[in-house]
Amino acid sequence: MPLHVNLYHEVQRQERARQRDPLRLSMLGLLVIAIGFVANYFVVLAQAHAVGSQYASLAAQFAALDPKAQAAKARQAELNEEITASDTMVKAVESRFYWAPVLDQILKTVPRTVQLTHVGTDAAGSPGGSSLVSITGISSGPEPRKEAEALRTALEARLSGQFKSVTSVFKNLDDSDQIVMLDGRRLATANFTIDFQLVAKDPAAAATPPPARSARIAAK
Amino acid sequence: MKLEQEQIKKIALSALLLVALLYGYFTYLLDPLQLGEKNATNGMAAILPQISDAKQQIAKAADLETKAPQATAFLTDLKNSIPDGAPIAWFPPKMADFFKDHGIDKCTTHLVSEGPGPMPGFRKLVWSVDVPKVEFTPLGIAISSLENDEPLLTILNVSVDATREDAQYQHATLILSTLVKS
Repeated sequence: MPLHVNLYHEVQRQERARQRDPLRLSMLGLLVIAIGFVANYFVVLAQAHAVGSQYASLAAQFAALDPKAQAAKARQAELNEEITASDTMVKAVESRFYWAPVLDQILKTVPRTVQLTHVGTDAAGSPGGSSLVSITGISSGPEPRKEAEALRTALEARLSGQFKSVTSVFKNLDDSDQIVMLDGRRLATANFTIDFQLVAKDPAAAATPPPARSARIAAK
Repeated sequence: MKLEQEQIKKIALSALLLVALLYGYFTYLLDPLQLGEKNATNGMAAILPQISDAKQQIAKAADLETKAPQATAFLTDLKNSIPDGAPIAWFPPKMADFFKDHGIDKCTTHLVSEGPGPMPGFRKLVWSVDVPKVEFTPLGIAISSLENDEPLLTILNVSVDATREDAQYQHATLILSTLVKS
């Protein structure tokens, strides 16, 4: 075996020592870590940029929508006000008290033996309130008071079909000295005044049919 | 392996550099980025409902805009049906014409009172319509037409009295209110 003499062993040892230098190794390690951090930074930067862009886009969209939404809100309030006003008007119209059906019922109810001399009405001041009808007249017959009572009950019954509640009361019912001729007979008479209190069923009023019969009101 | 004094110093220096690198990276680079991202995310979470609300608001208004003409048509028609000018100038002739159309030749109309209407833009006028000679049936028909044809008009009071002169005719007085533009 030939003898091998390494004349450079000192140089080689120094070279190995240089390669194993802790500072050099740690610098290499730091460099690797730094490269990793830089790569991570760019990844995070891309994510942040994407989120930022999305936010900027939404903010721009909102900036464009907001004035329109404010204008729409104002317009909606304006329209709601108009609709409310229209509804109020509809209610006001529908809650009116219609007198023609009442006059029609009076016309249909008054018998031949009764002559009305006055019909007076007062509408309720507010919806749901009671309206007043007052009729004054002369009833005639063998028992004129009964004729007047028959008129009161008949009219109350007829009006009850149209109203939520109807109450009637004689304001006065007095025998009269006057004698009237009806169908060739002399009949006694009585003067009466009847008040009817009417409460409407609901604000929506029915159409008002015109009276169909001839007048029953006559002069005293 | 035993470290020499010089090597220990170098390792310590390296450790210091590592700490500085970590601190610098997280404090000056990563944190601002993450803060910006967090702010943008929070902003998006806040702005998305606002955008949704704004879109809903615009849609609601548009929907109402299409429905409103129908809903307010009644009011518009009523407003358009009110003549311009002073009511005292047009209402009494209107009543006279109306009753004349129903075969009642004579009627006089007087303004009784004036007050605010049920809503802004309207005022309420109360009138007295005197019909000196009328039969009950034509009066009933006229009242029926008046109530049906004139939605702004309300008959407050009807008074029908028999006349001594002619048994066929009665004397009627109507108290009615109407709404006019203010």
